[in-house]
Amino acid sequence: MRRRATAIAAVLALAALAIVAAASAKVDRAAGPSATASADTQLISCGKTVTMGMLAPITGPAASLGKLQTDWAKFYVAAHNKVKKNKHKLRVQYGDTVLGGPGGTAEAVKAAQSLGSNVLGTVGPAGSNEVRATTATLKNAGLGFVSGSATNTELTTDGTRTRFFFRTVPPDAAQGTSVANFINKKLKFKRVYIIDDQEAYSTGLADTVQQKLRAAGVTVQRDGVSQQQSDFSSLIAKIPRDTQLVYIPWQLPPKGKAFGEQMRSAGKSNIILMGSDGLFDDAFASLGGVYASSFPTSGTHPVVKAFKKAHGGDPEFFGAPSYVAAQVVGGAIDRACKDGKASRAEVRAQIRKTNLKKTVLGLNVSFNAQGDIKGGQFGIWKANSSGSFLPVG
Amino acid sequence: MADELTPQVPPDQPRIGVDEWVASVEGRRERYRGPVGWARRAWDTAPPAVRLLAFLVPAAIFPLVTTEGNLFRYGLITLVYALLGLGLNVTVGFAGLLDLGYIAFFGFGAYTYGFVASTHTGRHWQAEFAILLAIAVAALVGLIVGFPSRRLVGDYLAIVTLFFGQAFVVFVNNANRIDFPFIGHTDLTGGANGLDNIDPLNVFGWVVNTTKEYYWFTLGAFTLVMILLYFVSESRTGRAWKALREDPLAAEVMSMPVNRLKLMAFVFGAAIAGFAGAIYGSVQTGAFPGDFDVGLLITIYAIVILGGAGSLAGVIVGALIVNGVPELLRDPNQAEWVFYTTLVLLVLVKVRPWQKLVAVVGGTLALGFALVAIANAWFPRWTAGQPGEGKLAHWVSHWMLLPSHPTQIANWAYALTIALILVLTLLRGWARTIVMIPTIYVAAFAWENLLLEQTAGATRFLLLGALLVVLMNARPQGLFGTARVEIV
Amino acid sequence: MNWSLFWDLTVSGVTLGSVYALVALGYSMVYGILKLLNFAHGDVYMIGAFMGWFALHWLGGPVNPSAAAWLVVVLMFAFAMVACGGLGVVIERFAYRPLRNAPRIAPLISALGVSFFLQNSALLLFGASFRDYDTFHLIGGKTYSYKDIFLSVPQLLTIISAVALMIGLTLLVARTKIGKAMRATSFDREAASMMGIDVDRVIASTFFIGSALAGAAGVMFALVFGQIYHFMGFLAGLKGFTAAVIGGIGSIPGAMLGGLLVGLAESYATGYLPQGSTFQNLYVFALLIAIILVRPQGLLGKADVKKV
Repeated sequence: MRRRATAIAAVLALAALAIVAAASAKVDRAAGPSATASADTQLISCGKTVTMGMLAPITGPAASLGKLQTDWAKFYVAAHNKVKKNKHKLRVQYGDTVLGGPGGTAEAVKAAQSLGSNVLGTVGPAGSNEVRATTATLKNAGLGFVSGSATNTELTTDGTRTRFFFRTVPPDAAQGTSVANFINKKLKFKRVYIIDDQEAYSTGLADTVQQKLRAAGVTVQRDGVSQQQSDFSSLIAKIPRDTQLVYIPWQLPPKGKAFGEQMRSAGKSNIILMGSDGLFDDAFASLGGVYASSFPTSGTHPVVKAFKKAHGGDPEFFGAPSYVAAQVVGGAIDRACKDGKASRAEVRAQIRKTNLKKTVLGLNVSFNAQGDIKGGQFGIWKANSSGSFLPVG
Repeated sequence: MADELTPQVPPDQPRIGVDEWVASVEGRRERYRGPVGWARRAWDTAPPAVRLLAFLVPAAIFPLVTTEGNLFRYGLITLVYALLGLGLNVTVGFAGLLDLGYIAFFGFGAYTYGFVASTHTGRHWQAEFAILLAIAVAALVGLIVGFPSRRLVGDYLAIVTLFFGQAFVVFVNNANRIDFPFIGHTDLTGGANGLDNIDPLNVFGWVVNTTKEYYWFTLGAFTLVMILLYFVSESRTGRAWKALREDPLAAEVMSMPVNRLKLMAFVFGAAIAGFAGAIYGSVQTGAFPGDFDVGLLITIYAIVILGGAGSLAGVIVGALIVNGVPELLRDPNQAEWVFYTTLVLLVLVKVRPWQKLVAVVGGTLALGFALVAIANAWFPRWTAGQPGEGKLAHWVSHWMLLPSHPTQIANWAYALTIALILVLTLLRGWARTIVMIPTIYVAAFAWENLLLEQTAGATRFLLLGALLVVLMNARPQGLFGTARVEIV
Repeated sequence: MNWSLFWDLTVSGVTLGSVYALVALGYSMVYGILKLLNFAHGDVYMIGAFMGWFALHWLGGPVNPSAAAWLVVVLMFAFAMVACGGLGVVIERFAYRPLRNAPRIAPLISALGVSFFLQNSALLLFGASFRDYDTFHLIGGKTYSYKDIFLSVPQLLTIISAVALMIGLTLLVARTKIGKAMRATSFDREAASMMGIDVDRVIASTFFIGSALAGAAGVMFALVFGQIYHFMGFLAGLKGFTAAVIGGIGSIPGAMLGGLLVGLAESYATGYLPQGSTFQNLYVFALLIAIILVRPQGLLGKADVKKV
């Protein structure tokens, strides 16, 4: 009947459209990153606008993280384009990696494949597994990629992506070591409970800290929760009352806050709670008395203040390294474009030569041979009763 | 409409009391209308080899006319998902077993391949052995899972297989911390970080490492599996499966070995999934726990059901739609074109006769220009917003209101669009035509001001969800499935 | 025997179990009448939580509500339940009714489509960030205790309202005319329509009630555990579905029992088993498998006798 014919016609039309769009995409829009060696060294003329790619979890379960990262990156691009000295305006092509979503890491690879041939450098991806999955694509395309949140130590030590991958966050090994040292030497605790959230970022940190603490003779118990979970009451009931510290290296500050609140209502508020840099956020700090590790970011840095003002007082610290990543890539593109033309290989070389002073992270940013920040350090912060973090170690 | 031979029954009622042959005569006759009818007639009468070529030839030409990025997103991933769909088709489509843990077999294939061919574990088997091992392991696991499921029926089978799928994910996520009593600490799967640095396929010496080569390899594999499944579906086993699907009790009474058939369906589906997994693992050079969870399962189910359970060609079309449509909407420029083209097509096809069509199109355009003129004169904030990039967006901005702070009003417009569309399906006649005009305008308004921003995000999946609902309503048996007839 | 741990776990198990029971009820009722697994149910639950949040903020917000706290909570529940009930009816009318006589898997896919659509619409409209109920400011952190048993106000509220809703539902199904119509329709739809029962209306009412319960569950969950976001319906839907099957799908007391069991199983598994929290879903599913293998129709389900 007509409905069926209509449906079929509509579907055929859509399929035809898909094929036409796919085939013609190379005509009206720049083609995808190609595997030939020329993509690496092909010179693209830097006209009025130059394009930077950004791979972030814009939708899906981690969309809240993606928003923080894209907010900070957008902030950088807007600031960059306001500066008259910059001849080329920066433009961002977003790729949605749907971290933790139904397609798995395949979405990240598809997002990387969707970057046009006018993209000169990329910020992201956000997850360590996404970095692993997209390495082949981005390397084949000759693109340098700078992540603001992929902290897995092996990413820079296994040698597969040297000189392509950089990151503006110190690796888990550094963070884990600072945390373990703080717990063991400064706080001198002997009974610790570690809870990871089953994601790669979390288990990596948890494993490092657990190993170092156990080596120092501390009693460590370990369990995990799912990132989707909001009910921690049974787990909290299980934590022995004589535990001195609970370490939760999680990614989502609201979950950390919920955990702290549930600990309080269970009457276990005497146990110290400590989070990782994923929990370094106002939401978690509002609990008061909690610890978190993070960069020596300064709340008085002018960029941070301007950002807070533009975002209703929320500094969204998790996204700050993405600002620096955008700064790195944007700056590299600017420098490579000085002679009016740039290739991806040039941009990569320029990224390698990055030397930023007094970034929002409170550090100077330059990269070592593996792609990590030179001298990247984590500090330990403690939240005071009015809900702001103050550095303690 | 169709002929007087059979009483006219609306399409959503069961054709009770009409036996299959007569019902299909009615169906066959109505297909002989117009270009669509001609296409269907050609499809039905063509021999299977021709039908295979109808798919193969465009698929083979595709990499030569498109870019690498598009080849990967629209070609390679679609093929991998379609391959998965073929396997699920055996379990669900041929044998009628609701297997909700299917993706675990996919994962087993990927992890097994990675276990014997990656830098992470240090073993570098050649692909022909590694892939065979992956298929064998997946089939074995299918056998193990299938064993207790023989006693379970329908929804209970679903639950058990769902459990198995979840168990797989948790196992694979934590399998780098197992302490076996005698062997000591082992790292089976790399844990939450996944099994990375998986080798590219090394088939008899040919190392597959560009997208084009992967595409050719996957296309070849897919064609092989399709041909195999075609012969299986025409064989005794295939017919037994179909009997099992239609009525398990009758099949058992007819002395078909129901339990053995169920087991075979499981194993077959699992083996195909294992094959797809091995290819996927090497394409991505890694296997990560999050890739094999319920979300992907739902996607593959959508592919199979959309195409029509039991139909091989349907799986391809299903994969193209479910994978291609969200990809198409990634780029805001392309998305603009897709939206307006689809809108125009829909109106063209659905609104007959031509006088009504002119009225609707004219009315919508007039409404738009009038509103923009009014806004320009008295409410400048309503047209102060930024149009999108590209020529089409520029043209549209003359017709569409673009407020300077669109978020709140666009949210309400979105809700209003949904309400109007639902109301539209309830109206008939002139009321319908008149309501169509503001519906189109509000929909375009919501698109321009809200959905367009998020094409790289929520809009893609939202539209896919809506597409699924609409398609199921228009054609519940899927695109290529056979309409089920109830015999009372 | 550490009684304080036991009671803590039991209380949290019963609280969570009440939420699951309400979600499972919706699944069971719809399955009983339509033999359809409504995948979109978890997302209706999510919408309920968001509706409750909006109600809370239209009434002044948690810190400075414009009415007494108890009134605000009642209004939140009412608003969420009505909104979700309406949503359920709309979903049924447009996504499931046309597919009532289609092969069983078609409405399943339609449900999937609706679920996807709801999730991403929520993401589009409400944004990606978590929203907080801030129960602490609204209701306060008072805890009631009896010997070793501690109950916080939100937990108590959840358990009491869940029990009240379940009693209300049982009375509705057993004593009222519409309840009788529902039972008849779930027993044999054609015979019921031949007896003069308006099947469409009965199904719409079933969806209304089931979805309203899910909405209430969403508000309850948010009151106890604090946060809502667009993806929260996924896990709750899965657990609710499991609970419905454990109790016997199609049976209302079964859904309640199933929900309670799942909540308690999760809690005890987390508390007593090694790495319990990491593997808690697995332990729940193992319990499920065990129950099904022993009693395939679920604990309170009826053994299906098929006429040949």
